[in-house]
Amino acid sequence: MKRIILPVLLVLALASLAAGGNREENTITVWHQFTGVHSQVFDSILDSFNETTGKELGVTVEGVYQGAANDVLTKVKAAAGSSGLPDIAAMDATSCLDMKMSDYLVTADDAGIDTSVLLPAAVRAFTSERGLLAVPFCCSSLILYYNKTVFDEAGVTPPRTIDEFTAIADKVGEKDGDGNVVRYAFAGTPTTYELGAFIGAQKGLSYMVDGKNGHFGLPRKVLIESDGTFRNFLEHWKAFYDTGYVLNTSDQMNEFASGRAAAMLNSSDSIPSVERLTGGRFEIGTAFVPMTDEEATGGVNIGGSALFLFTSSDAVNAFIEYLLSDECQRMWAESTGYLPASASVYEDPGFLSFLEENPLYRTAVDQTLASNPEVTGIWMPSGYQIYHTYQSEIREVTENGKDIDQAVSDMAAFIQLQLDDYNRQNSTAQ
Amino acid sequence: MLTLSDMRTENGKAYVLLMPSLILAVMFSFYPLVKSVAGSFLTISQQGEVRGFAGLMNYISLFSDPAFPASIRHTLLFILMFLPLNTALTLLAAILTRRKTRWGGIAEYIFFMPMAVSLSSLSLIFREMFRGRVSVINQILDTDIAWLDSPGTALLVLAFLGVFLDFGIDYILLLSSFRRIDRNILEAAALDGAGNLRTLISIELPEIRTMLSVTVFLAAKDALLISAPVMILTQGGPFRSTETIMYYYYLEAFRSGNRGAESTITTLITIIAVIIMAMIASRRKNDWKNI
Amino acid sequence: MTGRIFEKAVLILLAVVIIFPVLYALSASFFSPVDFTDSHAHLLPSSPDFSNYSMALSNRYYPRFIANSLITSLLLAALRTVISVLAAFAFTHLRFRGSRTVMIILLTTMFIPPDALLYPNYSTIASLGLLDTYAAIILPSVFSASSLLLLTGAFSSSDRDVYMASKIDGAGDFQYIVRILVPMAGSFVIAVFLQTFITGFSSYLWPLLVTSRMSMRTVQVGISMLGFAEAGEYGAQFAAIIMITLPFLILLGVLRKRIVDILSSGGMET
Repeated sequence: MKRIILPVLLVLALASLAAGGNREENTITVWHQFTGVHSQVFDSILDSFNETTGKELGVTVEGVYQGAANDVLTKVKAAAGSSGLPDIAAMDATSCLDMKMSDYLVTADDAGIDTSVLLPAAVRAFTSERGLLAVPFCCSSLILYYNKTVFDEAGVTPPRTIDEFTAIADKVGEKDGDGNVVRYAFAGTPTTYELGAFIGAQKGLSYMVDGKNGHFGLPRKVLIESDGTFRNFLEHWKAFYDTGYVLNTSDQMNEFASGRAAAMLNSSDSIPSVERLTGGRFEIGTAFVPMTDEEATGGVNIGGSALFLFTSSDAVNAFIEYLLSDECQRMWAESTGYLPASASVYEDPGFLSFLEENPLYRTAVDQTLASNPEVTGIWMPSGYQIYHTYQSEIREVTENGKDIDQAVSDMAAFIQLQLDDYNRQNSTAQ
Repeated sequence: MLTLSDMRTENGKAYVLLMPSLILAVMFSFYPLVKSVAGSFLTISQQGEVRGFAGLMNYISLFSDPAFPASIRHTLLFILMFLPLNTALTLLAAILTRRKTRWGGIAEYIFFMPMAVSLSSLSLIFREMFRGRVSVINQILDTDIAWLDSPGTALLVLAFLGVFLDFGIDYILLLSSFRRIDRNILEAAALDGAGNLRTLISIELPEIRTMLSVTVFLAAKDALLISAPVMILTQGGPFRSTETIMYYYYLEAFRSGNRGAESTITTLITIIAVIIMAMIASRRKNDWKNI
Repeated sequence: MTGRIFEKAVLILLAVVIIFPVLYALSASFFSPVDFTDSHAHLLPSSPDFSNYSMALSNRYYPRFIANSLITSLLLAALRTVISVLAAFAFTHLRFRGSRTVMIILLTTMFIPPDALLYPNYSTIASLGLLDTYAAIILPSVFSASSLLLLTGAFSSSDRDVYMASKIDGAGDFQYIVRILVPMAGSFVIAVFLQTFITGFSSYLWPLLVTSRMSMRTVQVGISMLGFAEAGEYGAQFAAIIMITLPFLILLGVLRKRIVDILSSGGMET
């Protein structure tokens, strides 16, 4: 008996080594970052495509969750050059630099997608010198979530600038008898996404790096120090923090939902999650992002998810056309908090009346339409490292009294280092 | 006596038997190492295209990023917190359950448990247990600490998690080596009137010393190379304070696609590993055979 | 006597600490969303919310995750044990040219931490077209210098005369290995198998990198990619964790006594 076990095990082992692999044909694989409600809605969209157009064309679309946005990008980059690439990856604009530099991306223009239906600001957000890199599927923007119950009781309206927020911090925040804060006015530490608005909107339009935030050519020079924009932001933010009602945290969602912070900044697509976690504990309000100062009029940059293509076929184009259809775009926007990427939906009477009835969702739409479309997200290498270094510097300034000029020059030097190292290894023009 | 023809047939046979090991060792250890060492002196684009000789530029770039030395610091700090805690607790658990008792099986099962609960489950559970200021841990300890939001405590939570992740296997190894001690020795000690504690200190602990140093060594190795729990529990945060060397490597290699940094770190880590292993090997020739 | 009580108290405290995360996960799998963001932390659900389980079950892949983990860990353990036994046999029973050199070459890999080779090994696996296969998950860790070293040590105590005698009796090498050598060093061989199984089961980053399809994910990867917590669905995350962990807790309960007995039966130390 024992004599048989070993060889059998070996044979079984070797046989099953070959298992897996082999991608099924006629399947369009879409990697994405959608979770919770978003993934349920996305799956239902895929199902209805598969049952209708998909059936006619003989293809099935399969969605695979690959983690957060930067995890999807990590997977795509790792799979590059192998058979492991999906047909489509839904990623955000932080992927653009890597995708622009890649030789495996099929741009929206190359694929022959009709992009005339798209919202101009969304197109701008994904456009480079190679043309439109990806097809925007849904947009989002940073918005201020505030505890409307608390704001109403304090008799204040949402602040338009950081200074206005500083002025009302002690009205919406609360301390107990011993001087401990029981409710912060604001929770969160700004980083790349927030600074896209805090810096980008200054003087009507500002960039963090050259090449229009890295969209055209490779970013080579950091601008946040020479333009004075990061310094300006830090001065206002420090004053806000010094009220004692600002909590540095990366867990703003729970701080806000539990009522322990009166406001936070978050993406508009978090509305369903915020509602669920708040559970009716208080009334939620949404408002425009407070600006750095009165001259910061550029508004916010558009975020959201675009479809990066790695194969080109009629079936892929048909699927994208389906996703961009008004019906699909509306359904997605109304159930997720994302904004439609298709321009015509913004004039759709049904969608307009949805916004009337759901003011929470309306803020992002109004804010985006009121923003300068040239204010765009930053495309740069080492996005993760820069994201966290921003938070570290802001925390150093606010909590540990680090000199603002020092923080600005350290931050600029850090980004410059990342840019130089990237250009050294990747730039074609040495 | 071996004849020459015996020798020849044994030559062929030996190499056939060794072939799988040799092929795998070359393919997944030597080849990638050589590739990395070479790559650390070259400029390679994200697309994998070799663009020229880099000299020491990759090494200079790596050390001019403050986050790299910081990641070494975090790793050492992590080892300092994790290793004593892990050794003390697993040893304590093994000592308390080294004799079979009526209810001992339940305790054994509980101490084995972390092994069956997967690494990612435990990391996610910890993430929730220590989340924010209103966490279940704060509730129990009656504290008000935002564990995962402040640099020092986040690393400490990571060390706690590390203890849970290594607990099961270390406990098994220690427990079984206690149980292997010759009964006669223990009974003789009892006849001599040696108390429980005396027997433990003067007889049992010396007996299991070898296995103890093996588990300490294994735990130290795990700690030096820790990355997965960091990835799930803290993602290196808050403020990059829990980025370990291997997590930094993951970020540069896979997230940033920085070929220079990736191959340079591989080279440096291997050098460090060789130095550490050589030091241990020369000091404890016998112990490391058990690894 | 007080010493005994103190010892028991410490034991109970330690056991409670170790089991706490699991119990908390079980309890939290019944929390409603607002229980997670209440003004005080909950140990028990305010009222049992079973909807977490139905939400968690919207993911149909748990049996696949469990099967993938078992298959890859068993395969890895079996293959590593087999090749280590064969190589250790060659080193201890055969005399061949270059044996010292080969031994040194193989043992040198102990100095090269596999974690630091993730990227180049990933490229190798990708260029072989093996991504999303079981082979990709296990191949790089099949050979292990430490397992080889352990078995070489265990086999070296065997008498070459016994081997020669069995040869004269007409037994092949294979029969000798299976019938005499492996049973003789049984606890070592089992230790290698068990340790490898555990290594395989707890491996996270590598399977995460080389798999991209739901159907190929292991337990470790699958759990971290549920996406429930990211959407604020903490309860569903815990429900999924409980459902995936339960089979392994049962398995451990069944095997615990046997594992301890085998490992305690001597032979682990040289």
